[in-house]
Amino acid sequence: MASAQLAKWWATIRISWNKQLSYKLNFLLLVIGPSVVFFFVKYSLWTAIFRLEGIGKIQGYDLSNMLRYQIWSLIVALVAQGYNSMNLAEDIRMGRISAYLVYPFDFWSFQTAGFISFQGLQLVTVSVTLLFMFGLGFLQHLHVPDLLSGLAFSLVVSFFWYQVSYLIGLAAFWLEETWVLRVMFITISQFFSGAILPLEVYPKYLLNILAWTPFPYLTYTPVKIFMGEYSGSLSQAWITLLAWMVVVGLLNRLVWQRGLRLYTAAGM
Amino acid sequence: MIICQGLGKDFKHYQKTAGFVGSLKSFFHRSYERRAAVHNFDLEIQHGEMVGLLGPNGAGKTTLMKMFSGIIVPSHGKLQVLGHVPFEREHGFRKKIALVMGQKSQLWWDIPAMDSFLLLQKYYEIDNRDFKKRLGELSALLGVERQLQVHVRKLSLGERMKMELMACLLHRPEILFLDEPTIGLDVVAQRNIRDFIAQYQAQYKTTVILTSHYMADVEALCQRIVLVLGGTKRFDGPIREFSNILGREKFVSVTFSESIADPTSFWATFDPQWNESRTRVDLRVPEAELRSSAVAILQRFPVAEFSMEKLPIERVMNALLANPQLLKGAE
Repeated sequence: MASAQLAKWWATIRISWNKQLSYKLNFLLLVIGPSVVFFFVKYSLWTAIFRLEGIGKIQGYDLSNMLRYQIWSLIVALVAQGYNSMNLAEDIRMGRISAYLVYPFDFWSFQTAGFISFQGLQLVTVSVTLLFMFGLGFLQHLHVPDLLSGLAFSLVVSFFWYQVSYLIGLAAFWLEETWVLRVMFITISQFFSGAILPLEVYPKYLLNILAWTPFPYLTYTPVKIFMGEYSGSLSQAWITLLAWMVVVGLLNRLVWQRGLRLYTAAGM
Repeated sequence: MIICQGLGKDFKHYQKTAGFVGSLKSFFHRSYERRAAVHNFDLEIQHGEMVGLLGPNGAGKTTLMKMFSGIIVPSHGKLQVLGHVPFEREHGFRKKIALVMGQKSQLWWDIPAMDSFLLLQKYYEIDNRDFKKRLGELSALLGVERQLQVHVRKLSLGERMKMELMACLLHRPEILFLDEPTIGLDVVAQRNIRDFIAQYQAQYKTTVILTSHYMADVEALCQRIVLVLGGTKRFDGPIREFSNILGREKFVSVTFSESIADPTSFWATFDPQWNESRTRVDLRVPEAELRSSAVAILQRFPVAEFSMEKLPIERVMNALLANPQLLKGAE
């Protein structure tokens, strides 16, 4: 029985790979895109800020440290936030999930297997980006245990992000458009997760409050783990994030059960 | 196999007047309307039956299919399919049914159909030997052996529908729900699909529930018809009795050697359908009047061809939709 379930998961992962690899150029761009974007946007921006304005340090970060922070935040974004399940909302709204409700493989399992498959390919992109950055000398102080610990944490964060975007997608059972919710969540989380600026720049009281939310663990914590500079309690980070995952997981279950009662299978 | 009692499904919609002002108003205040798509529906379908659900757009046929296959939840009433409550969507239930949606592809667009079949093999836990055997049989029957490795997006509509059918039959479902399986296909492709379904059903005695706007599909495949109008059942019986709703009538087709300009009251009682040039007319003639009417037509008009047959189901449907009061006797 368990092996049959495993075979279903594996077959779904493989078919998602087939699907994603069917457009060669698209896949190639996905792999090299992040490195290109880094140079055109983040490298140019921060070099300009530091050199042209003649600034030596911002909150303890010199240019080289800031670039390292930005590279690791790019890596975290690639591992953790690369998956976009925005299609789920549209699939629900347009009645495209009907076929999956008939197959003897749960919809959540189907979606999650698709996510795992995507993450498998995303790790290729991450490896290429890391090699590229390493080759260019941005990551001389790479410490393998930190790299592995950071990757493990980022993968858990990615599952949290997946759960959140799945939850937002399920809102389509009630709402005609869910992209606003998604943009709101991404904007708030970018601000409070350290994706735009390192969290040290925020006041202490805000950081104390944020420690109880999932936000700082989405970018700042994994980036600092990669950099080997995480000063907080790692076990608290794991526990808080896992607790939030349980909450969102339960919410997903509840919302799916309620939402499905409203599903109209439009367009069939 | 399928038992439903008092089955109903309501949908809630909000109403909005057209234009920007309407949008603005509906932003602050929305008036909702609850509409019964299916109402108080009783139905029983036995193993091996081929039943056609007929009705115009919006009649509730597809809503019934969605409830039978467990995709949507009924608002009221009881429903059992193969001993399961469909909406509970137990794996055991899902393994026994299949749904073909003519308007929605279930195959993955960017990969060959064969990849989708291999995935479905795992989903339905079909062992390799059975899978190969069924795949071979179905692809030979449908004549698509050479298209299995072609990307689905490159297939013609007819070929794609054949693949959809294959995908749904690999696990040998006990019930096959076919929602508009021939929609958009040309006449030849429609006939191919119809022949295949008939052949498959004869071989495996699968229960088939079909909705189609093409009456030819229903006439060719179904022994039993369920007419749905306004979400309620208005006729349920053998196809041969369907035309009797209109009384015992025959379908008479007359071609004239010249245009018939005179729309006299002679024709009015026979529900005449003229062609553009008024050189051909289709009539519904009561069996009791058949002889006298035929003689009168032949004597009074320049008849080139005269034929009569059983009333086609399409004609019955058209007459019923135009005059729903005719159904009173059938209920």
